[in-house]
Amino acid sequence: MNEKLRYWMLVLPALAVMILFYIWPVLNIWGISVTEPSAGLGNYTRMFDSNAVRVSFVLTFRVAAITTILCLLLGYVLAYTISNFATRVRPLMLGLVLLPFWVSVLIRSFAWIVLLGRSGLVNDALMDAGLISTPIRFMHNELGVLIAMVHVMLPFAVLPMLTNMRGIDGSYMRAARGLGASEWRAFREVYFPQTLPGVFSGGLLVFVLSLGFYITPALLGGGRVMMISEYITYQIQEFLNWGLGAALSVALLVATAIVLLVAARFVNLRKTFLERS
Amino acid sequence: MDTSDRHFQSDLAEIAAEKYKAGTLSRRGFLSAMGALGLVPLLGNRALAQASEVVVCNWGGEASDILRDLLGKAFEEETGIPVRVDGDGPSPGKVRAMVESGAVVWDVCDSAAGSAMVMNDAGVVQEIDYSIVDKGKVLDGTALPFAVGNYIFSYAMAYNPTMLPGGVPQNWADVWNVKDFPGMRTFRKSVRGQLETAAQAMGIAREEVYAFLDDEGIKAAIAKFRELRENIIVWGSGSDSQNLFLQNEVAMGNIYSTRAFLLKDQMEPGTFKMTYDGALLQPGMWVVPKNNPAGAETAMKFIASAQDPQLQADWFVAIGNGPINPAAAKLVPAELSEWNPNTPENVAKQVIYNDEWYGKNQVAAEELYIDALIG
Repeated sequence: MNEKLRYWMLVLPALAVMILFYIWPVLNIWGISVTEPSAGLGNYTRMFDSNAVRVSFVLTFRVAAITTILCLLLGYVLAYTISNFATRVRPLMLGLVLLPFWVSVLIRSFAWIVLLGRSGLVNDALMDAGLISTPIRFMHNELGVLIAMVHVMLPFAVLPMLTNMRGIDGSYMRAARGLGASEWRAFREVYFPQTLPGVFSGGLLVFVLSLGFYITPALLGGGRVMMISEYITYQIQEFLNWGLGAALSVALLVATAIVLLVAARFVNLRKTFLERS
Repeated sequence: MDTSDRHFQSDLAEIAAEKYKAGTLSRRGFLSAMGALGLVPLLGNRALAQASEVVVCNWGGEASDILRDLLGKAFEEETGIPVRVDGDGPSPGKVRAMVESGAVVWDVCDSAAGSAMVMNDAGVVQEIDYSIVDKGKVLDGTALPFAVGNYIFSYAMAYNPTMLPGGVPQNWADVWNVKDFPGMRTFRKSVRGQLETAAQAMGIAREEVYAFLDDEGIKAAIAKFRELRENIIVWGSGSDSQNLFLQNEVAMGNIYSTRAFLLKDQMEPGTFKMTYDGALLQPGMWVVPKNNPAGAETAMKFIASAQDPQLQADWFVAIGNGPINPAAAKLVPAELSEWNPNTPENVAKQVIYNDEWYGKNQVAAEELYIDALIG
């Protein structure tokens, strides 16, 4: 009994904060979505009828998916290098991965604007070198959004994979090599399968974060890459369409939950997130 | 790591609470922060302080400093009540959040006809008291029951001649002509002030624009934007549009005349031009949120004080807000007169904003517009 009380005493503050600042507001949002401007499912029918909402949802999932794939590819190579080769410079490389966390997303996005603009550093350098005669459009389109999103999200992909890779015992690879496997085959059949939990958790983390992201797309997309969360802001701030905005956030929440559920069929989520070796 | 805005609110609340305790944030600022975060009901709603100041909210940047130094100082000299300017941007969403959470910190807000109507429909703004505010000191048609004109601005065509070696656009049809006038264009991320230009690009006369923009006309105008979209960069805030020109991202576009007024001095001579031909003339509006802390009367007195013709003219010279008070036009220095959207010559060239049309069509048009631009 005493044990149990102590347990609840420890959990209660965190639980209270969650309920007060997360669960309660979310429930309120659900309430608004079926009560404003009039009771019923009007907001949801409007949402499903709207072409703009559909386009924005497709866009959001596309940007999130491409960002995830690119982050995993780049991140895998980076994590592999850090964990297997960079013994002496490992702290430094790890520091460089973490460094962007100390700078606000807003600042990082503005930095990309300075780099990628029509008269930005990249275009100026290419023009001065005589490689191009007219500036390339690196931003104000989906390309610019993806470049900056990958940069912002990369640490979220690298860190889980790195933790995972550093837990892999090197003797497996040595055994495979000793039994005559080529380096590539040893990697493919022995090393890579062991890194999959890290890949999945990194991928999931990046994907879910990307779904709700909009600062970077808003700044680098030239206004034409409107993620669903920006669309929600727009409805709420500009048009006082809190009902539709709330319905859209419910839809985003449900869509994210579905992604997690589908992922759970392929990955052991509990193992991926709670029992990292 | 603020990669999502959700963490952001609680963080802000913490910072605000710490600052309040440390005494660097006033009670009013604290309540404002809590109100914006929707947390005020938790704190209780007592003691919104006595009217010791008037808080005017506008959209930030240089405009805030000028509002404080010009209209604010004049009001303080007149009444002894200091004016504080908050550049946080009184969007309808924020005003509604404040009024509904019972933590109103703004007394007077710089809005526009469309947003003022949205706020009035939501019941979050007060009636203007025309026994204090003078109906005769504003442009005809801008003394609404729930909002009153504060200055005039236009959505006007601007361009950078150096980026257009083959010639500069003469009208909106040229802006849609990508072949002869290559380069990126910028338009606002909202239909406000935009469909009127597409209609003119289709050859509709200035006076016929709103008659043309019925359901069919709106669809046609939206289709024009869809056609042009690969050449469009959209601006969200006025400063966005200013940056797009400053960084040579766009060759032409439809921007606020007030931003053009600043750009004419910021850009190299000969690299920036603006014309009122085919522009859309629109009044800015003061609104007073319900239960404003300084009380209705003080807020109305501030609005009345800002109607003074000399102040209005000085305001224009400082930042390009066209005087709402017609009597101010002759006080504007002659060399700047061509930039004043509210002179008879310039008014004659423009489409006049029709708030009835916006009230009826904006929400539906907005969705079609976004749909045409994104993806």
